[in-house]
Amino acid sequence: MGKKGYLAMVLHAHLPYIRHPENEFFLEERWLYEAITETYIPLIDIFDRLESEGVDFALTISLSPPLVSMFADSLLQQRYLNHLNKQIELADKEAQRTSYTPFYETALVYRERFNQSRRIFLEYNCNLVNAFKKYQDSGKLEIITCAATHGFLPLLMTEPEAVRAQVDTAVNLHKRCFGRDPAGIWLPECAYTEGLDDILKEFNLRFFFLDTHGVLFASCRPRYGIFAPVYCPSGVAAFGRDPESSKQVWSAKEGYPGDYNYREFYRDIGFDLDYDYVKPYIHPDGIRINTGFKYYRITGNSHHKEPYNPEQAREKASLHAGNFMFNRELQIKHLSSLMDRLPIIVTPYDAELFGHWWFEGPQWLEYLIRKIRYDQDTIELTTPSKYLDEYPCNQVVTPCASSWGNKGYNEVWLCRANDWIYRHLHLAAVRMVDLANSYPNASGLSHRALNQSARELMLAQSSDWAFIMSTGTMVDYAVKRTKTHLQNFLRLYDEIKNNNISEDWLKTLEDRNNIFSDIDYSIYRSRQKCLASTPNKG
Amino acid sequence: MTMFFLSWAIGIIAVVFIVFLWAKKNRLKAMGSSRVEEINQLIPDLKEEFSSELTPSGPFPENQLPKEELPHSYGIDRLVLLARDPYWLYAYWEVTATKMAEFTSTYGTWDTSWPVLRVYDVTGIAFNGQNANQYIDIGINDQADNWHINTGEPDRAFCVDLGRQFPDGRFITLLRSNTVTTPRASLSDREDEEWMWIEGIYRSIRHQYGISSPLFAEEITERARTIPLGVSSPGHWPEY
Repeated sequence: MGKKGYLAMVLHAHLPYIRHPENEFFLEERWLYEAITETYIPLIDIFDRLESEGVDFALTISLSPPLVSMFADSLLQQRYLNHLNKQIELADKEAQRTSYTPFYETALVYRERFNQSRRIFLEYNCNLVNAFKKYQDSGKLEIITCAATHGFLPLLMTEPEAVRAQVDTAVNLHKRCFGRDPAGIWLPECAYTEGLDDILKEFNLRFFFLDTHGVLFASCRPRYGIFAPVYCPSGVAAFGRDPESSKQVWSAKEGYPGDYNYREFYRDIGFDLDYDYVKPYIHPDGIRINTGFKYYRITGNSHHKEPYNPEQAREKASLHAGNFMFNRELQIKHLSSLMDRLPIIVTPYDAELFGHWWFEGPQWLEYLIRKIRYDQDTIELTTPSKYLDEYPCNQVVTPCASSWGNKGYNEVWLCRANDWIYRHLHLAAVRMVDLANSYPNASGLSHRALNQSARELMLAQSSDWAFIMSTGTMVDYAVKRTKTHLQNFLRLYDEIKNNNISEDWLKTLEDRNNIFSDIDYSIYRSRQKCLASTPNKG
Repeated sequence: MTMFFLSWAIGIIAVVFIVFLWAKKNRLKAMGSSRVEEINQLIPDLKEEFSSELTPSGPFPENQLPKEELPHSYGIDRLVLLARDPYWLYAYWEVTATKMAEFTSTYGTWDTSWPVLRVYDVTGIAFNGQNANQYIDIGINDQADNWHINTGEPDRAFCVDLGRQFPDGRFITLLRSNTVTTPRASLSDREDEEWMWIEGIYRSIRHQYGISSPLFAEEITERARTIPLGVSSPGHWPEY
């Protein structure tokens, strides 16, 4: 029958920069450790297997600069290994504890998984950047970048230099880690506003992604809807998300992850077992937390849960991959009958959906890749770059300001719970630009202080803090991080201006908030051709 | 990350809650009762109790702990306008003591006038202060330093003045904001003449906003039987 269209799977991998050398155990640092074991290493494991079996594939993954920086940080690498060793220790105990029970098979799965994580982690020299780069270099993965600290860019556009610095820093880090320019960028939260693409253009970024309405509600109706990219007036391409395929995977209720055979997230031995037994593996203060050992399947809507059966779950993942492919085939056949070019379906997901929340997600992804390769010939996996190479001519529109957050615009990041941050973030950005303009040739201590100012500002700008505040859970940490980085910035600003920089304090900050070791504060310098704020319509 | 954070945070609360419910249910059973309503009434307390306990206490050593709040003012006159969504704007401002002194020296005391936000529709024009398509006034109070403004108008350009109004109707501008355009909330009316409109493609798209972490949050919240986290609607109460 022959190829009738493309599917571009896009995974967005990001965690905020959380690194607390001052504390031996820091609860939020576990986000990274859990995501490495549950999502990033399982993805690498899939790539390794597909590669060794000669299965061709094409995926796009955005690795956010904070995540890349944490992968490469030696302290976090060491701490992850320690964490993993404890998990392996617990896995051995669990295999003993559960023998002759219905949970034994699952316990063995965990034991194998943690040991495998260790093997893979060590194989790539404890730096997962090496693993992703390997598959970039072999042409299977299109790795793209994201804003430096995942700043919510439309709400930072009052000071375009601050947005430019977010992009500049990200592109530089990407080049350094992956040895080439990023072809495209994942705009944090898919948040776009007019003019943002001009900044992307300065850094030769060819494309970014938008939620469905970001493309559909563009200044002119896009001819192909979301099934082909559009060009912004700057020439940067925007790809729109396909809602149908998104929902099949995203929705916990209607989508695959809610299947009764899949693993239940909410039953964890960190809460279920005797305190004395789990004590060495939970918070040192005795607070019970998730350990990652979960033995039940979703079972149904009640609290009654049946034991998890890894084999049944695997079969379900295979079935769901087949169903997903079947639906995409139908979709592509329909679309190709209406279009005079091959349609592209773009399906972006948070990478952490796979494995962390949806335990079987990585298995599903692997089945999907294999099935698309061998079981049909209607659709082909592709990446945005490949599609743009094939179709360089696209319709020009101005996309609609939008995000992929709840209600589709900026509200999640600009609501009563977090609106207070913007007066400080904007002011700090103004002052950072002032510093960069005032001290064009700083050296020595001033130079270090200026660079640290840039780090503190960027860390304060993470969209994660505003997001957490809006959810109403674990807000204290997000507020504390926002305030601390802003206060650090304000103090540095005063010290630089008054020429009384405290070296000890600066050193403490450099050690603690050490992201972007080669940052250059001069990226904040005003440009002649400064972007005006959103122009009047006319 | 959003996915990660939500499942993590909700997961902790949910598991604690389930364990708690189980214990509570057993206790009620022992008393020969199964009053679910009573249990449900306990939910709000539960959330507060555990969310504070689960927040790591004192992760910052003394020298990094924010000792004081961020400055309330920076000594800069500014009025900044942001577009929140197709229907709402957000404005924050600071009026310096110098600015206030200027005003009072020209117009007399502060008390004979009241603060007003004048929201101009400046769509399609180069705004000079006089030529707005139309404007609305929002009476505010002297304590306010920010406001969520409901314009109800997608795809329009707005500019805001913070000023003071006198009983005789005079409006004196203190600060003027930047201009922002609210996002579109529907398909454009413009069909580029050079391009063809393919009806069938649009029929095949059944769009729903925010099919990502927030939707996910609502659904898993429901499944976990926890209290809604308020991810979806952080506040829509009337402003004026």
